[in-house]
Amino acid sequence: MLRYAIKRVLQLIPILIGVSMLVFLIMQLTPGDPAKLILGPRASQETLEAYRRELGLHLPIWQQYLNWIGNVLRGNLGNSLHFKKPVTDLIMERLAATLILSIASMILATVFGVVTGVISATKQYSLADRTMMTLALIGFCLPVFWFGLLLQFVFSIRLGWFPASGINSPGVTGWQDMAWHLVLPSIALAVGAMATIARMTRSSMLEVIRQDYIRTARAKGVSWREISYNHALRNALIPVVTVVGSQFGYLLSGQILLEVVFNWPGLGQLMVNGIMYRDFPLVQGTVLVVAAMYVVVNLIVDLLYGFLDPRIKYEEN
Amino acid sequence: MKKLALLIMVLLIAGLLLVGCGSDDVTDDGTTTTTSGENQLIIGISSVPVSLDEQQISDYNSDRVASELYDTLLRFTDDSTDVEPGLATDWDVSEDGLTYTITLRDGVKFHDGTDFDADAVVYNFERFTSGEPVFAYADPIFDMVDSVSAPDESTVVFKLKEPFAPFLAHLAMTQFSIVSPTAAEESGIQDFGRNPVGTGPYKFVSWTGETEVIMERNDDYWGDKPNIDRLIYRFITDDNTRLNELEAGSIDIAVDPLPDSIAGFEAHSGFQILQEPGLHTWYLSLNTQVPPFDKAEVRHAFYHAIDREAIVDNILLGTGVLAVNFLPPATPGYTDDVPKYEFSPEKAKELLAEAGEENLTVDFWVPEGGSGMQSPDAMATAIQGDLANVGVTLNIKKLEWGAYLDQMFGDFPPEDQEMLLGQMSWISDNGDPDNFLYFLCSNTQWPPNYNSAYYSNDDFEKLIIEARFNPVWEEREPLYKEAQQILMGDLPYLPIDHEIITAIGREGITGFVIHPRGFFRTTGVTVP
Repeated sequence: MLRYAIKRVLQLIPILIGVSMLVFLIMQLTPGDPAKLILGPRASQETLEAYRRELGLHLPIWQQYLNWIGNVLRGNLGNSLHFKKPVTDLIMERLAATLILSIASMILATVFGVVTGVISATKQYSLADRTMMTLALIGFCLPVFWFGLLLQFVFSIRLGWFPASGINSPGVTGWQDMAWHLVLPSIALAVGAMATIARMTRSSMLEVIRQDYIRTARAKGVSWREISYNHALRNALIPVVTVVGSQFGYLLSGQILLEVVFNWPGLGQLMVNGIMYRDFPLVQGTVLVVAAMYVVVNLIVDLLYGFLDPRIKYEEN
Repeated sequence: MKKLALLIMVLLIAGLLLVGCGSDDVTDDGTTTTTSGENQLIIGISSVPVSLDEQQISDYNSDRVASELYDTLLRFTDDSTDVEPGLATDWDVSEDGLTYTITLRDGVKFHDGTDFDADAVVYNFERFTSGEPVFAYADPIFDMVDSVSAPDESTVVFKLKEPFAPFLAHLAMTQFSIVSPTAAEESGIQDFGRNPVGTGPYKFVSWTGETEVIMERNDDYWGDKPNIDRLIYRFITDDNTRLNELEAGSIDIAVDPLPDSIAGFEAHSGFQILQEPGLHTWYLSLNTQVPPFDKAEVRHAFYHAIDREAIVDNILLGTGVLAVNFLPPATPGYTDDVPKYEFSPEKAKELLAEAGEENLTVDFWVPEGGSGMQSPDAMATAIQGDLANVGVTLNIKKLEWGAYLDQMFGDFPPEDQEMLLGQMSWISDNGDPDNFLYFLCSNTQWPPNYNSAYYSNDDFEKLIIEARFNPVWEEREPLYKEAQQILMGDLPYLPIDHEIITAIGREGITGFVIHPRGFFRTTGVTVP
């Protein structure tokens, strides 16, 4: 188990190096001169040239990459061109907001997804099953930003129950104010993942319920509820955990759009601003951090299998 | 299994807790979040400022947030680019136009308690012109200045290398806002932009990441003190979200609404549309030195062929004023007594036939977006359609904004410039006619400067150079009027519209000033 874990962690390194090269190259290929965008259209040629030298933009691409990656390995993601602050500071300021939103959405999606899936499976073809699965299908198809705007329109503008955007009211701090701001974006973000988890739980449960040991348990007179939750669910959950893990990646990508719609000051919005301003150190830094989050979550999911299902062994032949 | 059950229980409780808190707050706090009851103004703008150090700012939105933290030596009046006293109470220009003696206001203090005096002005000048790349505006504003001195505590003398008539306007530009020397030294160039200290009507309180900047009334302000206690700028990038926030009542003013949303708010009681024509012109730039645009008939034909009124009405939806002159109407010395070109496809065809340029095909360069470019795609398509009606084929070529600027103002001789026809816009820096007529039209300003039409006309040149060096406005004005007539006769540029700076506010807010230069004044604002 430990060897497997170490091996998997080591495998992350080439993945992250690949990501870093890819994002660096993409930003280099994006047209637009960052110096001109930062200094504005009235800057003279000499000023622009001096600034490009200051940023190291006059060096060949490979040298720029090596300089950058060398700094990254020392924990320095460079300075944001637009915000004129270290990228690491900017990311740390916003990481909490992103984690709060993604974890809240993940909890909503998992809890409601699993519960819906179990109910649907145990009452297969009932009205409840059909209604829930239709809703899940719709939820799966909803574009995140559109659903976010819809929630804003109904619950904020029309009903006035929740704030339309932001993480806190101006000048207000405190978790209650934040929790209130969290409701709409976390629901908007959770719906797609919730739908996928519900459908996965349902089909996985249905498969397990048809197995021999369940029939045996029923024959022995164990109650249906106990069978569902004690015997079936645990086995049914293994594929669900994979889905939950991969949904986390989906959440992260949805979050980029949603943070813009809800003006949520997280990494997604930071990334979008970075792209808008051709702030390449910022885009490179945020993409790298988000990619790292994604692969780490996937690793955790892989390792979790062993705990959920003792039959899965990690030893090599 | 028990562990799993426990896990699910915990998740459930956590989820319920989160949702539960939400509903608790709703019943406690009602429907509106912040604006009610407090004497404050919350303005929603579309981007996060680059810096709050005015001397480092080159974009609209940063300028909007930062401008009221500071004062300038002279200031623009509320609705024009005429100047009035600011931190300077009086000024005197020598007869040769080379020496400007500025008398400073007594008893003004920076927000950090230090005194404002002549040494502070000299410090600010030296800081701004230190050659650091971040002070990108220093060159255009002060490259004509030879020296600055402080003969006594309340006098500053600027000596120029050569006479420069619009100089007083440069002292009113927000980029030369006066910062506290003590605070600027303490913070250093990079950090001052996040810890700004000036003399303005508001004091800086906080800047929270990408969310908001909060400032409060400066009770010791030398001028009219603000009516409101706090001024808050919130950064809401998404255009729909910004308007949703306005409708939900959590901001008071939403700046730069989408053009197609304005009519809806106009019809809606509870809101008001706040507008001010800016010092802006959106135009087509034609390379006047090479075929086909070296022929005046072709340039005239193009202008006759374009239905500008349709563009303003159907695409810009009330966020632009139809242009009949290259200068924006708010510019001093503007005249509409210039050659006019009505929309007439027939006349356009006649002129093209006269020039022997029927069935013309030209590349039409269009940027993806960019400062002041309004709706580049929709406007390009409309223009393409209009010209197709007179037998001209325009092939639209698109470039990203940075690359576009590099091409349009690239250091090429006219015959090597691929971009014969392109869109561009200009926002006046100092509000003086010189800013348009010299920078964009003088034959000394061909690319890599801003005369992208490679325009050259000796009569025109004589007028604008004479006006540039003469500090007496009454003598400059007739020169500029004549220059405008020559320019609109030659048509190196085809002006389409002047953008109207637009915001939507809650009903009952009064005293909000949008300056033609794009920044806001809120000291007179009252909120209901």
